[in-house]
Amino acid sequence: MNYTLSLKLFLFTFIFIPLLTFGQNVTGKIMDGASNQPLPGANVVIKGTSTGANTDFDGNFSINIDNFPATLVISSIGFETVEVVLTEAREVNVSLKESATGLDEVVISGFASTVKRTNAANSVASVSAEGLAGTTPPQTLDGALAGKFTGALITSNSGAPGGGLSVRLRGITSINGNSQPLYIIDGVYIDNSSISSGGLNTVSAAAGGGSPSSQDNATNRIADINPDDIENIEILKGASASAIYGSRGAAGVIIITTKKGKRGKTRLNFSQSVGYNQVINLQGQRNWTEELAESEFGEGALYAAAAANGTLRDYEKEVFGEKGFISNTNLSMSGGSEKTTFYAGLSRNQEDGIVKRTGYDKTSLRLNVDHKFTDNVKLSLTTNYINSSADRGFFNNDNSGTTIGVALTATRPWDFLLPDANGNYPDHPNNSSNPLQTRDLMTNNETTKRFITGGALDINLYRGENSDLKFVAKAGADHYTLTGTVIFPKELQFMRPDQGGLNGVSAISNTTNTNSNYSAFLVHNYKTQNDLNFTTQAGVTNEQFSQNVVRVIASDLIASETNTDQAANQTINQFRLEQEDFGFYVQEMVNYQDKLIGTVGIRGDKSTNNGDINEVFYYPKASLAANLHNFGFWGDNSTINRFKPRIAYGEAGTFAAFGSLYTIYGSSSIDGNVGISVPVIRGNADITPERQGELEMGIDAGFLNDRVSLELTYYKKTVENLLLQANIEPSAGFGREWVNAGTLENRGVEIGINVSAFESEDFQWDSGISWFKNTSEMTELNVPTFNLGGFGNSLGQFQIEEGKSVTQIVGTTGPGTPVSVLGDAEPDFQMMFTNKFVYKNFALSFLWHWKKGGDNINLTKLLSDFGGTSADFDGFDVDPEGLIRNGDYRINNGLFAGNARPFVEDASYLRLREIGLYYNIPSTSLDQWFKGAVSNVKVGFSGNNLINIFDYNSYDPEVSNFGGSGLSTGVEVTPFPSSKRYMFHLSAQF
Amino acid sequence: MKILRKFYIIILTISITVFTSCELEGGESLNGASTTSISDDLSRGELPQAISGVLSDMRGRLNTQIDVLSIFGREYYYFTSSDPRFEGDVVTGNLDNNTFYTTGPWGSRYAAVKDINLTLIGLENTTSDFSVEEISATRGVLNTLKAHELLVVANNQFANGIRTDVADPDNLGPFVTYTEALNTINDLLVSAAIDLAAGGSSFPFALSSGYAGFDSPDGFLQFNKGLNARVEAYRGNYANVLTLLNGSFLDLSGDMNTGVYHTFSLSGADLANPLFIALNQEANVRVSHSSFVEDALTDDTRVNKVVLRDSPREASGLVGTYDVWIYQSNVDNIPIMRNEELILLYAEANIVINPGEAEAGINVVRNIAGLGDYDGLTTSDALEDEILFQRRYSLFGEGHRWIDVRRFDRISELPNDRAGDTVPESVPVPANENQ
Repeated sequence: MNYTLSLKLFLFTFIFIPLLTFGQNVTGKIMDGASNQPLPGANVVIKGTSTGANTDFDGNFSINIDNFPATLVISSIGFETVEVVLTEAREVNVSLKESATGLDEVVISGFASTVKRTNAANSVASVSAEGLAGTTPPQTLDGALAGKFTGALITSNSGAPGGGLSVRLRGITSINGNSQPLYIIDGVYIDNSSISSGGLNTVSAAAGGGSPSSQDNATNRIADINPDDIENIEILKGASASAIYGSRGAAGVIIITTKKGKRGKTRLNFSQSVGYNQVINLQGQRNWTEELAESEFGEGALYAAAAANGTLRDYEKEVFGEKGFISNTNLSMSGGSEKTTFYAGLSRNQEDGIVKRTGYDKTSLRLNVDHKFTDNVKLSLTTNYINSSADRGFFNNDNSGTTIGVALTATRPWDFLLPDANGNYPDHPNNSSNPLQTRDLMTNNETTKRFITGGALDINLYRGENSDLKFVAKAGADHYTLTGTVIFPKELQFMRPDQGGLNGVSAISNTTNTNSNYSAFLVHNYKTQNDLNFTTQAGVTNEQFSQNVVRVIASDLIASETNTDQAANQTINQFRLEQEDFGFYVQEMVNYQDKLIGTVGIRGDKSTNNGDINEVFYYPKASLAANLHNFGFWGDNSTINRFKPRIAYGEAGTFAAFGSLYTIYGSSSIDGNVGISVPVIRGNADITPERQGELEMGIDAGFLNDRVSLELTYYKKTVENLLLQANIEPSAGFGREWVNAGTLENRGVEIGINVSAFESEDFQWDSGISWFKNTSEMTELNVPTFNLGGFGNSLGQFQIEEGKSVTQIVGTTGPGTPVSVLGDAEPDFQMMFTNKFVYKNFALSFLWHWKKGGDNINLTKLLSDFGGTSADFDGFDVDPEGLIRNGDYRINNGLFAGNARPFVEDASYLRLREIGLYYNIPSTSLDQWFKGAVSNVKVGFSGNNLINIFDYNSYDPEVSNFGGSGLSTGVEVTPFPSSKRYMFHLSAQF
Repeated sequence: MKILRKFYIIILTISITVFTSCELEGGESLNGASTTSISDDLSRGELPQAISGVLSDMRGRLNTQIDVLSIFGREYYYFTSSDPRFEGDVVTGNLDNNTFYTTGPWGSRYAAVKDINLTLIGLENTTSDFSVEEISATRGVLNTLKAHELLVVANNQFANGIRTDVADPDNLGPFVTYTEALNTINDLLVSAAIDLAAGGSSFPFALSSGYAGFDSPDGFLQFNKGLNARVEAYRGNYANVLTLLNGSFLDLSGDMNTGVYHTFSLSGADLANPLFIALNQEANVRVSHSSFVEDALTDDTRVNKVVLRDSPREASGLVGTYDVWIYQSNVDNIPIMRNEELILLYAEANIVINPGEAEAGINVVRNIAGLGDYDGLTTSDALEDEILFQRRYSLFGEGHRWIDVRRFDRISELPNDRAGDTVPESVPVPANENQ
């Protein structure tokens, strides 16, 4: 017998023969113990195997059992798990009790495996659909995560519609490499780039000054994902859990599962929310008088005339004072047969901004289909089409006085900026742009058309008494085209040639992005006689990334045309990215009677981004959890009913950024001749991924039968071989070069306590409180101390320095003084407080979020001081001695004296992030009114950020002029202010 | 069974595909030519692009360069609503060694030097069929331009010194004093002149239209000599200045504006003139220092380089009444060196050697500006005063005055409008040089 034949025979034996055996059918019904309604979507699994079934809409399930006795494990997210022992086939009817602790859900433990939360050795955060959008609908997915779990610093970069957020899990994990987490939706790697539109910087010239960033805060693309489609989110905060994602896991991984169809009658869910948003906090005006207008600007007469005519105008309110209309419509359908189930969702979100002509509009269409070919072969497909459009206005820093924010700093209440009857705007008397004209005429739109699809094939290759073998293959693709349209019509004050303008700018930026990923895994379960379970998995993954950005910027436009060929001058630039990664993963998990659970695994990775594209980088992990309560040390009636110490270690990496291997010429042009120019950044052919090792340990405990649960975690993560765009001596002809140099460390503590405070027939109160903090240190730096992010020492900037906090803010404090530490962007701690009260058919829930400490560099006030318009100009609270007016102090004793101290400000806040009050119309009334056609009708009110308490001297301490990348969050230059939202909801099931 | 057989095949196919595709291919830069493509072997097709790259990069941060020097020299102020440091640090003289007005001009000049050095290495390694003359001429041009760029940073950093040997980024040469830097620059210009003289009759590349009349080895040599004369004047070697001016494009009866220029346009990746601002702006303005109009002689047409504003512009206690109006569109050329400067160098070099010629040179400039002949004393001191005065008006806003007053130890004569304002003697060396 030759080798091939024996292999075939082997495969035949193991694959086909087991599939031919069929067991006995067991059916049953699972109910929700609280409402006494059928519980759809509950998991029914034969203990010790991966065989299972889900309940349909009517709570029914059906499962084949080969061997008796068997134990059925019945679980559902949000309910306590129940085990039922069967000695023979019979009907199983079970009522599940609601769980306040979320302990019974499963969390990810490997590429193709999960583990019960009670057995997990990592602190894996998870956010359910209810937690994500149940209280109030979020504008974007990442925004909805703020305040929902420990260990994260989530900062909104600006209040502009369409989002733009920075998410940092357990401190800063990379300085110049990627520090934003990896998003995976139903197994598909999701692109989360922020891509700047061409044309904005042509006008703002923001990158022409002290900073290479265009500072226009593009949307990050995770905002496209519709939160309504999401069933569950799991967050792997660091390498100890995310080692399975190897070189893409170091910044953490956010794993999203979307809603799946449920067997049974087709159900239609409809929900509609309407509401409005409103600026959180306006700065207000200086207390103008004729005398003050005269002494500041010699414009006392103008003030008096405007006051007499009643034409004094609060332009801040004029620009930011709109109430933006919000409408979210969501329609979903779910149902299916024994073999095939589906979930279809259509949602449309419209939101106007607090500035006229800004807004966000998104339509998302989803179809998820699950199909069972046989009991052993399952295929699930997810598809999502998204069309989103964001009008973002023109804000943040500039070097040309053109953005709306900068223009407002120079606008006085008696300036007349309103258009005449024919729509002609007057020129701004003190500035190069009229902010009302800019608002009304310019366009800055980002439109995305995105298609995300994934498929997973699950095959039970073999199922025996003590073991089974499963094959899991996944494939996914995320494709989008993003069109950035920027139009500055020639009528704008700063576009007119007599004002030195470009006579109109029109720019179109097209991005085509495609990610695709494939993986195949084998999972083997083996159980010994004494309940020792072995789960072994091994497999390979492949990811491909491709991005092509083409920007065409045209100036000197023909008439009012905006096509880029209808212009005298065109500038084109293009950026391409092609990357392919390959990895494999092997993991062994051992579970001894749910008492001791240990895991070891290793990931190997290589990438075309590395110097040697076929060099494999290895990332190991290991963990151990001990469920001490299962050893029987305590009696069943002990106060402590659950106590689990756990420890986990893992390593993960971050690949060097695409292109960092090469030193490539940029293209230039002079007098019609094309030229080649050395780049600012020098490449490094020897660059390697940076490596993070994270040790996490903690205790999970339950008291009073889990009425009180506690999760306590300490972690220490060390990032070595840091990828740095280190400064090199600029006389070398380059500004920076890529190097692997340095080590940083993050240490932190996370505490979460959940209390099921009160529970009775009519009233229920659940409460949660969490507290966490992170401290970072640059433990080693092999290049000289360097600065990044910010505008120089006299205004405050970040400084990377050995032995110091990674996020320290430094600056000079007077003429000729050396730089000293003025602050730190890292919060002292953060705290969240959630509560949910249910009384009969009413439910009230709210979330408080307190960020204590953490500093910003606030330059908005300084710019308005120069315009003489700061609301607090005449106060005396900035000068430590209280003698000099704030505005004068910031200018003369701050900037001019080389003193950055007035610009570094505490950015603490306490905010009521979410609050919602809902009423479920009783089913008896509904049946009476609609004769059973309508069920689950819910009405309610909710709000976002309704209460905000902070000392910070601007619109909102959550802000970032430089967007979400790397370190430079928390720098503020005339941003788009943030808003609060008031909503009314109605939802029903048909 | 059919379905199962299909899956069996699918699994096998997936496994085989996945396991055989684990060798990665690719890994390309995609977005531009590697710098080694020039330095390893410069081809005939690449040379014009490398030269255009140099000419283009010589314009990088030219606005910051000129603005900083003009503010130091109290020629004009630059007020911008978006960056208060032009009315702060730069005027108070309290300079930061790690912000744009320090690092921008320094980095941009050295980037152009890097372009030049890569091309020079490529020229040594070339396997193309360049003739000996072509290589010599190209080297002459590159070294002349390199000398110009190094001269700019040497003048900015002055006593703080600069690096002149920067060919190897991993092994940069030491900081040298201003005097040593000028020596090196002078040597570069001298060797470039020899190369240009041996460079045949034409270049194997095109220069920009800013070099019209200087776009052959002979013509470019005249620019080289003029530049060398400037360096020798800074070194006080006045006899040498006169010799060099002889070989330069100095023309006592010629157009003041004959010379070499940076050019600008709005097309494609080209740059617009960064020093152009329309009249009577509010947010961003370049306004002349009040002394420019106050000190001007009656009938001096050079005062037309500024225009009275509709209303004065004030910024933090500084006031500008006149807009600087040297460039009247965003595609106007910016001079690198003009005949007017050479004439004044000629006059300056003759103060001691031949005061009559000095006076003659002064009168050429005066007469063109609509002024009568010089009728003051002809002592060295008086002529020095007069020449500095004429340079102030002739070369207004071209980045000369601060260097000139420093050369003659007269920084203290520059006016400071606010208490606390001072004129610095030098720009600090950027922090990142780790000097």
